[in-house]
This record gives sequence, C-alpha cells and structure tokens, in this order.
Amino acid sequence: MSTAMNFGNKTFKPRPPDKGSFPLDHFGDCKSFKEKFMRCLSDNNFDNSLCRIQSKEYLECRMERQLMAKEPLEKLGFKDLMDQPQAQNKEANP
Amino acid sequence: MLLSFAIRKCCAKHCVQLAKNLNVRGLATSSSQLFGRRTSQRFVNQTRGAKTNRKKTQNQEDDWKQRNKTALTYIAAAGVGMIGLTYASVPLYRLYCQATGLGGTAIAGHDGELVETMKPVKDRVIKVTFNADTHASLQWNFRPQQSEIYVVPGETALAFYKARNPTDKPVIGISTYSIVPFDAGQYFNKIQCFCFEEQRLNPYEEVDMPVFFYIDPEFDEDPRMAWVDSITLSYTFFEAKDGQKLPLPGYS
Repeated sequence: MSTAMNFGNKTFKPRPPDKGSFPLDHFGDCKSFKEKFMRCLSDNNFDNSLCRIQSKEYLECRMERQLMAKEPLEKLGFKDLMDQPQAQNKEANP
Repeated sequence: MLLSFAIRKCCAKHCVQLAKNLNVRGLATSSSQLFGRRTSQRFVNQTRGAKTNRKKTQNQEDDWKQRNKTALTYIAAAGVGMIGLTYASVPLYRLYCQATGLGGTAIAGHDGELVETMKPVKDRVIKVTFNADTHASLQWNFRPQQSEIYVVPGETALAFYKARNPTDKPVIGISTYSIVPFDAGQYFNKIQCFCFEEQRLNPYEEVDMPVFFYIDPEFDEDPRMAWVDSITLSYTFFEAKDGQKLPLPGYS
C-alpha cells in the first residue's frame, strides 16, 4: 500500500472481484483437493498451465459443498478441459 | 486618493466646458460689436439641419445600444455555458476514463463472456508473486501458500493464501489488494477472491483462502506492458469492527 499524501500521483483503485467473494471453508471440506493442487504446483515448478485439472477439481469440490455459486465450468475458463474428455468419449464410442 | 483625483478630473472637464460656452458667446458678442455682423445666430445653430443631425446621432446611439446588447447576451451565454461545462465535465471524464481505461480504472465491458471465449497467449509467460500483509492491530497469521506462480494471459489460475487466528476470540478481518506494477492492474482480473467482505475466523482456526484470477489477453498487445514479466499481487488484512462495511471501490 502506498503511503498517504500522494495527492498528485495516480492512486491504485482496487476493483471488486467479478463473482464476489469466496465463502470461507471453515471445515476444510476441500482441503484434500487443495493439497493435490499445491503438490502439483511444487512438482511442476509452479507452472499453472500444467495444474489446471487440479484447480478445476478444487472448484468443483467447492461448488458441491455450497462454498461457491454453481456455474458451468466453461464460464470459468475451463472450456478446453471440457472439450478434451468429450473428444475422448467420441473416439471411444464409434 | 482615487476618488479625489476623479472629482478633480470631473470638475476640470466641467470648467473647460463652461469656459468654452462662455468664450463662444463672448466671442460672438464682441465680434458682432466689432464687425456689426449677426453671427450669434450661426453660433447658436452650429451646423445646418440640427434636428436631422440629432436624429442621426440618436439612430447611431440606438444601433450601438443594440449591438452592445447582443454582445452582452453572447458573453452572458458563454459564461453560463462555461459553468455548465464544469458541472458536466465530471461524469464526462468518468465516461472517457472507462472507455479508454486510463489510470487503471475498470474498462467497461468486462463480463463473463470474455472468460469463456478468451484464448490463452501461450508464448507470454508471466510470473505472479504473492505478498501478504496484516495491519498491526490484526493478530492473524496471514501468508501466501506459494511464493510465485507462472501464468499466461488468457488462462484462469488459482492461488491460495492461508490465515490463522491464534487468539482465543473470534476476529473479523477485511482485506484489500494492490498490484505492482501499477499499469498492469487494469489487466489483472479477479473472478473470485476473499477481499472486500468480512471474513470471520473463529478462535484457533486456520483456513485456506483461494484467489481465482486471470490476466486479460490484451495484456500481450499493450506496448507499455512489453517489458513486464512479473506481477506482484499483495493482500492486506485489516481488522473489521462489527457491522462496518468497506465501501466497494470504483464507481459502481
């Protein structure tokens, strides 16, 4: 946070999140998914692109436990991950 | 001092005028006595057609008055227009900032559609580092669970913070964030996080706090961001008093 009295400079204006705030996971319902995600990150040198499946699973867990508003995962940017299993299904069923 | 000067000037003018008049008549009478001519008539009616001349000056004066009036009206209208413009400039500037995104203000048109349709820019890797602070009076242990994460613009990412309440009383905290570098803040969009709302931690409780965010793919096309390859997200927690609400930032 910048010090006060910076009247001339541009001040940072934080923006509220698009979908609001996550309710707190007081009971640790999704802790296992979080652990999986963190382990994946540390294994892959903190590269987010390689751990997207784990993050998708964590968000799905939250949605199941009423800790997040239910939304189709495409709207959360997981469209490419949804397309892959569908393509695999199509290949499996001739 | 000015007043006395003005009075003196006024008096001088009058004196001169009086003298002129006297002189005219004086000259007339003396010269007529000398030459026996009837010049007084001519001097009284200075020029021929005095009546029409008076009308002409009257018309001229009217004309000038009319022109002055229109000029004054225009000037008054311009003055009122200027005042109105100063009042209107506030919302106009706001609209302009929203349209161009100057100074990191929210760009109008940030909606869910973008998240669905955006394509990740795979060749631009950005390191996002995390920072956690608490206000001195808040006794939570608040820290990020990863020191950094490598993302690409257009891809949604998840990050975790951890907060622990070591006291034996429930504590309510409320947080805000900031982004460094300043100009990158307009491309950093949080889909969901834990900021700006009261978060209550029971005694000796520890929770994971996720942040779900993405960097706008337009980040890659901004020439000002060409040298930016590291962004720092910094959260600060404050203690919230019961019932107090942080005003939501921005113009919404």
